[in-house]
Amino acid sequence: MSRTQALWEQPGSVAEQFWRHGRADFPIYDMHGHMGAHNAIYFARCEAPAMDAHLARIGVRRLVFSHHSALMGSMRNAAVHRIVEGCSERLRMYVAINPHYPEFIKEDLALFDKWPFAIGLKMLSAYHQVAVTDRRYEYALKFASERHLPVLNHTWGGVPYCGGPQLLELSQRYPNVIFFHGHSIFGDWDWSRRCIVEAPGNCYLELTAVPGLRGIIERLVRDVGSERIIYGTDLPWFDEYQVTGGVISADIGDDDIKNILYRNVERVLGTDW
Amino acid sequence: MFFDANCQVGLPMNGGAATATIPALLAEMDRNGVDRALVRHINIDPDGAVVTNEELAVMLANEDPAARLCGVWCILPEQCHELPPPDEFFAAMKRQRIGALTLSPGAHRWVPSRLCIGKLMDAAAERRVPVILPNYSSRWSDLYQFMADFPRNTCILANTGRWGADRAIRPLLEHYEHFHVELSTYWVPEGIKDLAELYGPERLLYGSGFPELNHGSTMLSIRHANIADAWSRLIAGGNLARLLEGAQLS
Ligand SMILES: [Zn+2]
Repeated sequence: MSRTQALWEQPGSVAEQFWRHGRADFPIYDMHGHMGAHNAIYFARCEAPAMDAHLARIGVRRLVFSHHSALMGSMRNAAVHRIVEGCSERLRMYVAINPHYPEFIKEDLALFDKWPFAIGLKMLSAYHQVAVTDRRYEYALKFASERHLPVLNHTWGGVPYCGGPQLLELSQRYPNVIFFHGHSIFGDWDWSRRCIVEAPGNCYLELTAVPGLRGIIERLVRDVGSERIIYGTDLPWFDEYQVTGGVISADIGDDDIKNILYRNVERVLGTDW
Repeated sequence: MFFDANCQVGLPMNGGAATATIPALLAEMDRNGVDRALVRHINIDPDGAVVTNEELAVMLANEDPAARLCGVWCILPEQCHELPPPDEFFAAMKRQRIGALTLSPGAHRWVPSRLCIGKLMDAAAERRVPVILPNYSSRWSDLYQFMADFPRNTCILANTGRWGADRAIRPLLEHYEHFHVELSTYWVPEGIKDLAELYGPERLLYGSGFPELNHGSTMLSIRHANIADAWSRLIAGGNLARLLEGAQLS
């Protein structure tokens, strides 16, 4: 009954590949995941084996995650690394940074070089109620700056701990850190743009919670270019097919889609990690 | 065949980027390969049931010549006689290509209890007219009370909220056989498979969430839900078609 050829039927397109085969002939890098149970949400698949099986179906090559209990509870990063060691094909970890425990930050980062599966840091400032620009993050950010590491921040439009102005200031203060703006400064889309175009070339918008919204990916691609956007799901919060479906059905080109799903991450971090 | 259970059309009161005209919806459906859609008026809350019911019928008549859309009308308490009595109301629905009911008691300031809409809801249950329940994701106890009052009605929860709602929706799916869930904001990993296996694929419906949400996300998650093709087809559109065809409006 449809009047025109649907996007899923365009021969040779990325959308057609996913529609037919459930995966593409290129990998996906999911740069924003979690692990473990959550206080407010039932997660049937929040431990490594079930997450890994879900990732394998759609062809995710790497999921970089931070553990809920390392962010919100008393689990230490060394224990998270041990989980990854047992399930290391697709999973990599961010070291969770809790600004309320400076001694833990120092102890954990002292072990960082012994953790081959830790690739960067994760900050959750809105939940910890400490602004990203606060001095309590300085030690971790200097550490990331010396090593040119990625730092994934939870960001949200209008939230004074992690909104656009705070992230822009932070990225200007630490030009050697690679900042992944988790949730793309959600909802404050003009600041999403400013956080990229006014930063010293070290920032990327990470899409978690955006795919599914109508027209927003198109706007971000127009505003900052697909070279500055990376893919994420918050797995086990959101389904890989739902999120990928939102990216590949957006009204953008296949090159843009490939930039978002894998090329940008491979350009910034390489493939050997 | 995709049949969208959750769309809103009209000019939003406060503007915004979302273009929600019927031509825009039809174009979006074509682009994504969605065949049909069940549509509510986008201004039900601010402009009221009476005005938007009428306006939706006119829009459907004028802007959807191929009849790909089916409308939803909003109900009000019986005692104020703002809408015709049930038989007349249902006959008008049939004439004007309206297939389901909805309600917005919060915005329209009434209590969705048997006292207010008992007769109408009993008639709707008798005739198996589906009732769309949007925006309950922050008011679960209201929804629980509603289902306790109207267990025989065919109900479709639209918008579960994107932050995993299993703790809230599974008890309703388990307890009320006529309770259904629309999936536009059900983003739980492998969750469609879990719900289908637990409660049956007949209880789940594709929805886009237009104009706020896009069509493609949930299409791909249903297509690759890791369930039998026959189940995917039910969820994509078969269930909604069955529910609407089963309604006896006259
Ligand atoms: Zn997150």
